[in-house]
Amino acid sequence: MEHQLESLGRNLFAVFGLLALAGAAFMVVSKRAVHSVLAFLFTMLCVAGCYLSMDAEFLGVAQILVYAGGIVVLFLFVVMLVELTKYKEKDIFHTQSRAAAVAVIAGVVAFAGVFKHAFFGPASPEALVLRPELAQGLDVAHQNAQAIARGLFADYLLPFEILSVILLVALVGAVVLAKTERV
Amino acid sequence: MRLLKTLIPGDIAAGLALTGKYFGKVFFSANRKKVRAHLKHFTQEYPEIPVRLAPRFRGRLTLLKDEQGEIKCVCCLACEKICPTQVITIEKGKMEGRKMPYPVRYDFEMERCIFCEFCVESCGFDSIILNHQFELAAYNREDFSLGMEGLGQNMFAPSPVGKYSVAED
Amino acid sequence: MPPPMNLLQTIVMGLIQIVAVLIVVFIMVPLLTFAERKVIGYAQVRLGATRTASGTRGFTASLNRGMWAMGKVPVLSFFRGLPVFVADAVKLITKEDIIPAKADRAVFTLAPILSVVAAFGVFSAIAYYPGVMFYMPKSWPLIGGLPFNGAIADVNVGLLFILGLASVGVYGIVLGAWASNSKYPLLGGLRSAAQIVSYEVPLTLSLLPAVILAGTLNFKDMSVILSTGQGMSPLAVIPLFIGFFIYLTCGFAETNRVPFDLPEAETELVAGFHTEYSGMKFGFFYLAEYANMIVVSCLATAFFFGGYYLLPFGLQRIIPASVPFLGHPSFLFFMAKVSLLLFVFIWVRATLPRYRYDQLMDVGWKYLIPLSLVNLFIAAVIRYAF
Repeated sequence: MEHQLESLGRNLFAVFGLLALAGAAFMVVSKRAVHSVLAFLFTMLCVAGCYLSMDAEFLGVAQILVYAGGIVVLFLFVVMLVELTKYKEKDIFHTQSRAAAVAVIAGVVAFAGVFKHAFFGPASPEALVLRPELAQGLDVAHQNAQAIARGLFADYLLPFEILSVILLVALVGAVVLAKTERV
Repeated sequence: MRLLKTLIPGDIAAGLALTGKYFGKVFFSANRKKVRAHLKHFTQEYPEIPVRLAPRFRGRLTLLKDEQGEIKCVCCLACEKICPTQVITIEKGKMEGRKMPYPVRYDFEMERCIFCEFCVESCGFDSIILNHQFELAAYNREDFSLGMEGLGQNMFAPSPVGKYSVAED
Repeated sequence: MPPPMNLLQTIVMGLIQIVAVLIVVFIMVPLLTFAERKVIGYAQVRLGATRTASGTRGFTASLNRGMWAMGKVPVLSFFRGLPVFVADAVKLITKEDIIPAKADRAVFTLAPILSVVAAFGVFSAIAYYPGVMFYMPKSWPLIGGLPFNGAIADVNVGLLFILGLASVGVYGIVLGAWASNSKYPLLGGLRSAAQIVSYEVPLTLSLLPAVILAGTLNFKDMSVILSTGQGMSPLAVIPLFIGFFIYLTCGFAETNRVPFDLPEAETELVAGFHTEYSGMKFGFFYLAEYANMIVVSCLATAFFFGGYYLLPFGLQRIIPASVPFLGHPSFLFFMAKVSLLLFVFIWVRATLPRYRYDQLMDVGWKYLIPLSLVNLFIAAVIRYAF
């Protein structure tokens, strides 16, 4: 039973991963912006599926809640309002093709290096795990919301708070930029 | 104070109470009580339950008879003259043993009638009324030509005639 | 202790549970549309739908004729008009399915599906009963003696799962609106996106006190802890009570129900996001709306309204567990409360007019969010100080 479920989980991970890749590819290739957003949504859901198939329930669901439920909606909101066909003739989306190609190649090389290391290299010396004293009394496999909470609010509290401040700065910056146009 | 008013939505509660009250009222009377109580409060269930009509409801024109079974009409033609759409045609006649004139024909073209009741008001002998019949639809144009005889259509049907209507007491 | 299940048994039992839940939902939705007709009618001193199965001719005649003749309203009078939903369903299924010429066909088709999937997927994580409802009969092959659980999936982060999936439901509306390639749906879709994203904040914040007080995200555990009040201070009633009303208000907004039904405001927007939809695609939107109503009612019941126990807001501790029936959890209590809340949904629709758009945003951002934050604070204080 355990073995069967485990292999099922591994297979599901592969399925979701491939689907996510397909979604991402479609997102890049698609001509219409809304279709791209939809493909992005699909990718996000598949990534959540990947997390779920690895028993990271909290992470998977948070992925759906934050990306699929919040961020992509806002993307869609903006994309829906912008008439992209107007800009299509002006070719403004193709001005950065060369830079993009370079970036993509660099990214592929970097990722290939990482994957090579992960798959064929020695195991990572230090994984990002919860300190044992914090994990006390927790069944990490089944209480991963609690485990993540302890990690975030006890172990990595400072980085977490700094991150939220950075987000706030971005928010204020966006408001400032939008405001100046009107004045 | 204003904050309190915002936090405690009294208006919404009052509205809910009102609709709730009506809901309860109809819920408990619509399904249990007898038809008569049922009629008073809300929508009348027309084909199954006779409709309550006001006493002055103006339905189809009717010729009345007196206690002896004699037609009350004396052919003064007041109704024929006052009728704005000229739907009444009367032919005067004599009958033995009767002093007053007697209508040999009293034709009523219902398709043009506007149910204004001027004819009834103008009648000095109370010999015609508009009854409570309101289901007047017919398949043929001829069926709207009413007279004193012929085709089962006659002008003497007493009030209320409608299968489905009831006069208010 | 039942024997451990093998993979096949797990899948079969899962399918059985899914089908069971879907059947209940598919029974509830038509009943709900009927109840909506009736309740609104009664509240407005009308009779609502009565014409089908009410006459003296036809299928139900023998039941009715004598009663009418006696001057009485027929027996089971409340259910006259019930067969209307059959007509509704037949109409929706057989109606011509029109896709506008300039519409984006793929997205246009996808939108109602997304909406329905999101609405129905949520039912998988809701626990309708804590623990095992009953065991399958021993004599059945393959699944004999296996437990029929109160929830399809007992997810550890059930609450988050439900919120996440419910938030995906907005895509159905927004994409449907965009794909129609028409003014009114687009306006409705924009409104809807803004509204749902705004109201998701107070909705989630209103659930947080419950999470804080219960100390878990598991749907079943949360519900049991919050309704029995075990390990909670008696003061916990306060945040639960306030949270209930905030949650319900946001629930109305999330399901696009009156008074927050701006996405389909028929006076201004024809029919809002589903203007261009017909046939079963429209039916899907319709189905999703009612399914969402049921979901919101289930959640409000489970977390604030006492769940599987008799008394709401953690007051169940008054009744000791030794009392027969009233002291125990029951599926009946759960269903009764869900029905009550569904009635409230319809009742409010019969009462309140629609908010204006700026009022809607005011209610969300200026009142509900601060209120739910205050409520969260109260809950945190109660959790740690008492």
